[in-house]
Amino acid sequence: MAKGSLDWSQPRLGRRQAGGLLAAAGLAMAGLGRAQAAALNTGTLRVAVLADIVNYDPMQFSSQNATVMRNLYDTLIDYDARGKAVPALASAWKVADDSTSVTLTLRKGVTFQDGSAMDSAALDATLKKANDPAKGKNVYPTMAVVKDWTVVDPSTVRINFKAPVPDRQITDLLEFMPVISPAGIDSVETKPAGTGAFNMVERVLGQKLHLGANPNYWRHGQPLLKDVVFTVFSDNASASAALESGAVDMIYGGGARDAVRLRDAGYQLIQGPGQLVQVFRINTTMAPFNNEKFRQAFNYLIDRAAILKVGYAGLGEVTALPWAPSSPAADRSYDKTYAFNLAKGEALLKQCGLSAAQMNDWKLTVNSSDDASVRISQVVQATLAKVGINIKLDLKGGTEFVDAMLGGHFNAMFGGVGNVQKFPSRIATNSIYRTVNNPVLGKVIPFKDYVDAIQRVDTTMGSGPAVKAAYDALNKAMVNDSFGIATNSYNVFLIVAAKKVSGFVPDIDNLLVLREIGFTS
Amino acid sequence: MRLALKHPGAALGIAFLAVVLLASFVAPLILPLDPLAQDFTATLDPPSAAHWFGTDELGRDILARVIAGARTSLTTAAGAVLIAGCIGVPIGLVAGFFGGWRDAVLMRLVDVLLALPGILFAMALIAVIGRSQMAALVAVGITGIPGFARITRAQVLALRRLDFVLAVEAMGGSASYSMFRTVLPNAWSPILVQVVILTSVAILLEAALAFLGVGIPPPAPSWGDMLRTGKQYLYEAPTYAVLPGLVLTLTILSLDTIGRTLARVLEDRQGAHLATLDEPA
Repeated sequence: MAKGSLDWSQPRLGRRQAGGLLAAAGLAMAGLGRAQAAALNTGTLRVAVLADIVNYDPMQFSSQNATVMRNLYDTLIDYDARGKAVPALASAWKVADDSTSVTLTLRKGVTFQDGSAMDSAALDATLKKANDPAKGKNVYPTMAVVKDWTVVDPSTVRINFKAPVPDRQITDLLEFMPVISPAGIDSVETKPAGTGAFNMVERVLGQKLHLGANPNYWRHGQPLLKDVVFTVFSDNASASAALESGAVDMIYGGGARDAVRLRDAGYQLIQGPGQLVQVFRINTTMAPFNNEKFRQAFNYLIDRAAILKVGYAGLGEVTALPWAPSSPAADRSYDKTYAFNLAKGEALLKQCGLSAAQMNDWKLTVNSSDDASVRISQVVQATLAKVGINIKLDLKGGTEFVDAMLGGHFNAMFGGVGNVQKFPSRIATNSIYRTVNNPVLGKVIPFKDYVDAIQRVDTTMGSGPAVKAAYDALNKAMVNDSFGIATNSYNVFLIVAAKKVSGFVPDIDNLLVLREIGFTS
Repeated sequence: MRLALKHPGAALGIAFLAVVLLASFVAPLILPLDPLAQDFTATLDPPSAAHWFGTDELGRDILARVIAGARTSLTTAAGAVLIAGCIGVPIGLVAGFFGGWRDAVLMRLVDVLLALPGILFAMALIAVIGRSQMAALVAVGITGIPGFARITRAQVLALRRLDFVLAVEAMGGSASYSMFRTVLPNAWSPILVQVVILTSVAILLEAALAFLGVGIPPPAPSWGDMLRTGKQYLYEAPTYAVLPGLVLTLTILSLDTIGRTLARVLEDRQGAHLATLDEPA
């Protein structure tokens, strides 16, 4: 780890595989965090962001909303720095012996920002929203395992599953579930209705967002800050200049290269555990990518190290599988087996039986709004030219790109995938990896091994060799089918802060958590 | 030589443009410069003996890309001027010569084009036909039509009532003969100046489109795209944006100076020439 860096992106310590030494280190870190919190001062934190929020709905998991989701709302449980599930709005939870239900005990004495009590009725209303395909937004897919739920009493709710569900998948669901006030649930896009550590004070559309401390917050002694002011900057350079001039205390969600430069200049660089993995997405319904050997060649033809360097300033890791380093399914042996190797790639191209004209007859669609994608696509273009594949880049911006991605109107494109640090089958929430109604590969995707492997991961309980075998089968199917070639993990919400800012809390999705942040001076 | 001494600014401009032209079309034939060759071990390097302008974020030689970018800019500008001239000059000629309803209709069409901000029109056109050098060329060319049409019309209106034109008509010369053999040859001076001005505008507009991310798609080099990308690395590699920007600025400045000088020289000469033509026999 470089000087001035705090990196939670590496394998977390609370996983089953974690050794005692790592656990001890994690506990020491948690203890240190508490000691630091006690010594921190209050004040107004000024944060530079590069985009305004979309709305206040905590189920709308867009990158712009990452600034407020964990500050205006709390979830049923949290993951700590070691990846261990810890109580939050649910003070306790118990998974049934047959893993077909989880019983939640809600924390008493918690109130929403509108003054109403957080209780079973509120969770019931929240679960109804989450389970509604029109309102559940990003939480809706995680509800796929849920059959129904029962309100047992004012502070107890039991969620029943359609089939036995692995523990980690259950905690992922609970960690992803913000509880919303029933009175504000219909207007939550325009008015926050959570239990979070901060209240909305003022918003100037496209320019500024002002949060104030919630005086009735249920976590004792939190938040430390009185106020937080987010200022929207149009680009990295101006946000960096604001930090360096002292106009802001922190940048959230800035670019990797600027972050590295600022780290080298003495600022703190915080990388959370919630990484994305960049994936070379392949539309296997179109020629020449309907040829398996041609697709498999790309496992070797992508210079992952170069992509990581020019796209993400080296912040991340190369990976041949779509898992963050902290994922239980991560397997570093694949990185060696499928390392960049033009000779191996060329050998597969020769075996594929396609003519040179056929191999050249496609375009690489590029998200022109994302500078990193433009850069790494040029790396791929230049690398492919070395083996005689000469392609053009098809640049599409914003909505046009999203339309192509979700409509399957592309031959190949880069696109980051999320949920790669959670329960492995959560990968299937990303469009290219969906096992049903896949917008690119069709309603019934043609890769039976992959679909079976996801199913096996979902139904294999425990933590022994059977689980590892299920993950191995999934990894093997992914590389063999090659409809998504992973290249590298990267951090979407980097934090660069002045030295006086402390008390950062890691979030599994790298959402900004402000409640323990304060000033050292 | 006498002219060069009399107009040193224009002479410097011509010299600079000659260097740019020579570099863009001849240098690639004799120098081992590849604007697309990537070297990930040398990204964002400062200027050195190996890379006079330094390297970009993909380790490509910036000098090679500036030279190739000049080719892109100059060919785009040439194509745009050709389109604008070929359409704008005849429009202005017909409108100014015939007047009446033809003038009204053609000039209202030109007014419509003139009312559209060039950059917005070009962006809208590129959004429809896609990003390519041809798209940029056509977009910039169309935005140049009103300039040529207006200037030609104004010149034709001034010439139309002069004695030598009326004399041709009185002697039975056809309208087309008057237009193309009598009026147009005497209207070339401001059109020539407009060619130079539009060339600089076209280069600037092409660079602006690339700067806004709707120009020629990568990896093809373009000065505007280099400025756009280079500004992200102002701290680490200031020369990345500054040097292409400098070349762009000097090119525009050279063309502008040449255009102004040309306008003065041609104005003087044409004034004298027309005075001769208009003198009573």
